[in-house]
Amino acid sequence: MIIAERKPIGRILQMIAPFKKVAVIGCRGCVAICSAGGDREVETVAAALRLARKREGRPLETVEDTFVRQCDPEYLTPLEELRKEVEAVVSLACGVGVNLAADLYPDLKIYPGVDTSFYGANPSLGQWEEKCRGCGDCIIDFTGGLCPIARCAKNLLNGPCGGSQGGRCEIRPEVACVWHQIYERLKARGEVEKLTQIWPAKNWIPAGHGGPRERVRPDLQFNNNSKK
Amino acid sequence: MSNEKYRSHLERVLREGHFAVTGEIGPPKSADGDVVRKKAQILRGFVDAANITDCQTAIVRMSSIASGVLVQQEGVEAVIQMTCRDRNRIAIQADLLGAAALGMKNLLCLTGDHQKFGNHPEAKGVFDLDSIQLLDMVRRMRDERKFQCGEEIKGKTVEFFIGAAENPFADPFEFRVQRLAKKVAAGAQFIQTQIVYNLERFKKFMEMAHDMGLTEKVYILAGITPPKSFGMARYMKYFVPGLDVPDEILKRMKEAKDKREEGINIAVEIIEQVREIPGIAGVHIMAIEWEEAVPEIVKRAGLHPRPLAEEVKPVEVARPAPEVVLPKEEAPAKEEVPEAPPKVEVPAEALKQIFGSLRSSMEALRDGINLLHEGLASLERTLLGGAPPEMKEAVAPEAPPVEEKPAEAPSVTPEEEARAQKVADLLSAAKAAREAGELSKAQALYKQVLELEAENEIAKAALAEIEKELLVEDLLRKAQQKLEAGDLDGAEAAFKKVLEIFPQKTEAEKGLEKIAELRAAREKEKEAKPAAPPKEEKPAAAPEVADILVFPDVALEYRDVSERAAGIPEDVYKEPGTAYIREVTIGEGEKAITIGGTNVLPFHLFEGEMKNPPHVAMEVLDVKPEDWPEALAKYFEDVFSDPGDWAKKCVEVYGAEAINVYLLGTDPNFLNLGPDHAAKVVEKVAKAVDVPLVIWGSGSPEKDVDVLREVANVLGAKNVMIGPVVDTNHRALGATAMGYGYSLIASSPIDVNLAKQLNILLENVGVPLDKIAMDPSVGALGYGLEYTYSVMERIRLAALYAQDEKLQVPFVINVGREVWKTKEAGLPSDDLIGDQEVRGIALEAITAIALLMAGGDFLIMRHPKAIEVTQKVIKGLMAQ
Repeated sequence: MIIAERKPIGRILQMIAPFKKVAVIGCRGCVAICSAGGDREVETVAAALRLARKREGRPLETVEDTFVRQCDPEYLTPLEELRKEVEAVVSLACGVGVNLAADLYPDLKIYPGVDTSFYGANPSLGQWEEKCRGCGDCIIDFTGGLCPIARCAKNLLNGPCGGSQGGRCEIRPEVACVWHQIYERLKARGEVEKLTQIWPAKNWIPAGHGGPRERVRPDLQFNNNSKK
Repeated sequence: MSNEKYRSHLERVLREGHFAVTGEIGPPKSADGDVVRKKAQILRGFVDAANITDCQTAIVRMSSIASGVLVQQEGVEAVIQMTCRDRNRIAIQADLLGAAALGMKNLLCLTGDHQKFGNHPEAKGVFDLDSIQLLDMVRRMRDERKFQCGEEIKGKTVEFFIGAAENPFADPFEFRVQRLAKKVAAGAQFIQTQIVYNLERFKKFMEMAHDMGLTEKVYILAGITPPKSFGMARYMKYFVPGLDVPDEILKRMKEAKDKREEGINIAVEIIEQVREIPGIAGVHIMAIEWEEAVPEIVKRAGLHPRPLAEEVKPVEVARPAPEVVLPKEEAPAKEEVPEAPPKVEVPAEALKQIFGSLRSSMEALRDGINLLHEGLASLERTLLGGAPPEMKEAVAPEAPPVEEKPAEAPSVTPEEEARAQKVADLLSAAKAAREAGELSKAQALYKQVLELEAENEIAKAALAEIEKELLVEDLLRKAQQKLEAGDLDGAEAAFKKVLEIFPQKTEAEKGLEKIAELRAAREKEKEAKPAAPPKEEKPAAAPEVADILVFPDVALEYRDVSERAAGIPEDVYKEPGTAYIREVTIGEGEKAITIGGTNVLPFHLFEGEMKNPPHVAMEVLDVKPEDWPEALAKYFEDVFSDPGDWAKKCVEVYGAEAINVYLLGTDPNFLNLGPDHAAKVVEKVAKAVDVPLVIWGSGSPEKDVDVLREVANVLGAKNVMIGPVVDTNHRALGATAMGYGYSLIASSPIDVNLAKQLNILLENVGVPLDKIAMDPSVGALGYGLEYTYSVMERIRLAALYAQDEKLQVPFVINVGREVWKTKEAGLPSDDLIGDQEVRGIALEAITAIALLMAGGDFLIMRHPKAIEVTQKVIKGLMAQ
């Protein structure tokens, strides 16, 4: 899922400084699961904003809501009404949600309440780890299911660098050297020869270096005709 | 200096079989070319070539290529270095073309230290290529005259003697030689290794390289660094990743009176020993900020004078075309750079001093930054964990942290420098002690640091951290004692406190697990009563598989969520929907069933209600089915000829609560039977059973209009459900349904919006929403079940939580038809995929239960056993 982290309240206060009434809108997708922008966080953020503004002597009125998702237009439709009611919206969705809302409602002032961090897993409560970088060209079939693009600090493709020590990365001792893991795994499977091939220079276009990425399924687009 | 046969002087020395010596020059963090020239002058005549680092440890310095030009002007051949950290393939190729044009002959290809370790840790690391891809690219530029993209290089291309680095002391050890082989295959002609102190491991590495035949293919130069001080040796041991410094070296440096003399001795000894290792072609001496040591080391190791040295001559800077190239012999270096700025006389000793202090302060700086990070992290942990934050005194403004001071101020007094050096030494000793687990020793050392530097942030942060660690140790010890004494609550409290301080502490986590285990064991002893055995199943009259497959009832005992979530406020986990799904009733009298009527997601009874449990109808066909697998057909073979008997068997033998009559025979693409046939079939069924009926047409929109109209004529105003209604026949069927008071099945192709739209259309015709059920078009397990699931879930969420009124109608799910037409349901029994009937039952039941979880209110199924298990699951879940 997409991992996000709430922005400091101070930053959000700056964004909404001119307004008297704002909506804080959460998302029940990834950001709810990673405890950055679900119902509970909406409540917390809204309360914190109100308190801070009350202390400033410029009370703030908030409207709180959490959408099923913010990355599908159909779930954003309540914004249509909401924008008449409030001056601005703080969205706790990931950047995708904020952008889509900004695309669909150009005159709506919408501000990000979270920093969208990475694609990660939740190995244990309160901890999230990056596992994928969405580079658009998955090669982990050669690396025992472990991604060197997302999990190696130098995104190396041809094995561990000289900073791999005792299975740890030189960047931070708590980070495992993914190439060490890949090696151990393939060795156990008797597939080390996969690593002796020279992996050619990577094509970074699918990773987004060719401009914004897009995926199209014409067979599904057909259904758009019947949408209102 | 060039010889036609060789690309560089270094290559010639190696290929003619001489033991090569290369040196290393670190360019300055300034635009002062004289620094580079001075270093080159020191090395001239003592090395065959000198590497020029490319912003080593990711600190901005004069560029390697530019410095290389200066170095060659001084009569030392340069080995320029290129890392992948700062440039993409475009910039690298451009710079290499330029380097070649400027007369560079040797190139060392590196991945590069991570930017985190340098002075711009916030920089974006490029790493478009890695070192092996870089080697491959350069080799092809040179040998195939091609750019990385494959385009031809017209005219001159690069002519480098190509090298790479390898670290035999990094892990995983066995892979290091493989990686060396990859580098050789990619184009490396010479290798300079990481600094060798651990000769045993290095010998092993060389043996493996030799065994793989690599020493025949590549010249391996062993990395040599004379330790300059005890502090430096220790720093390398503890803080440089991938460096292996045995304790013996530390001991020698510690005990030596003249540290520098001892450092040189160590270097010379290592050179002598690596010379004995088969396959070593030379040494690469990296006297970091101590270039003066190189001549001494080379002389003492008996490697002076250098072979072919007389051939190395200062290089002329390339000039614009018209100039006549000067005969090489005639041009002494100094005349070639007439425009050089007047040289500032810097006494060698002063330089030594400056670099010495710079180096040590840099080490302290890096050490400091690391510790500071740790300190900040621990502070964050403390604050978030709720423990009282360790108070820190505000840093006195007049005393900036020690690690920042010397870096930019080389003019420190000797006393200050000595003190800084001492602080740095103490810090690294303390860090080492801490890593070795000697907390109290580390504590004492950090306290000493604070005596010297009251405001030392590193020491303060570390002390705070150590105090916490000691506290945790103490807590863990106490917890363990309590655990042994049987005081579970006390032990639990102590472990939890530890977790507050260090949320990841495994000892504490394990302790808590242990406590939970012990508790569970105690509970068990108390109960002692075994759980009630599963109730006996009423024996089915049918064939063997059904006899073997006996499904126990789902346990009806239920621990309420409020009990399990004790202590958590209800509103945190309860979120009932803001609306209800409408209720649709079919059938008459006692046997009538009602579906829908929920305001929560399926079976979330802790937060809302489901007024009606989901129901299951059994399917009866109007004609003898042709494609039913044996596993299913055998239950109904005796009644295939008469739909009335069939329905009766379903109700009387298998307890069906409703019957779905599927008018398959009317399908224009199948038997194309007429509406009268359909009417007769429905009439028979209606007479035979009194359970609610669903009449499902063939799915041909035009034909269904006629067929269902005729059925209605015969059936009259009975409370049945008919369908499927699609957008093209919604008017006609809507009218029929309204005329006779039937409910409708609105069928749409797996899409939220289409489902909604059809409901709106029907409403426009005049069908009230409480006479509509939705068929979202489902897929069986393995045939798009998950897509169906997600669409149903989205519809249900929109209905309950987004006030989407038009979607607040129940789902009718036709499971049986989808499952029993799959290939897997029909394949005969075999060892790989098991018994046909068990498989079919599993497919139908799993699909049914999955779709119940997605919101299915009314299922249409076929196999009696699959229905039985589905009913049991429903019963179990409704018993919450």
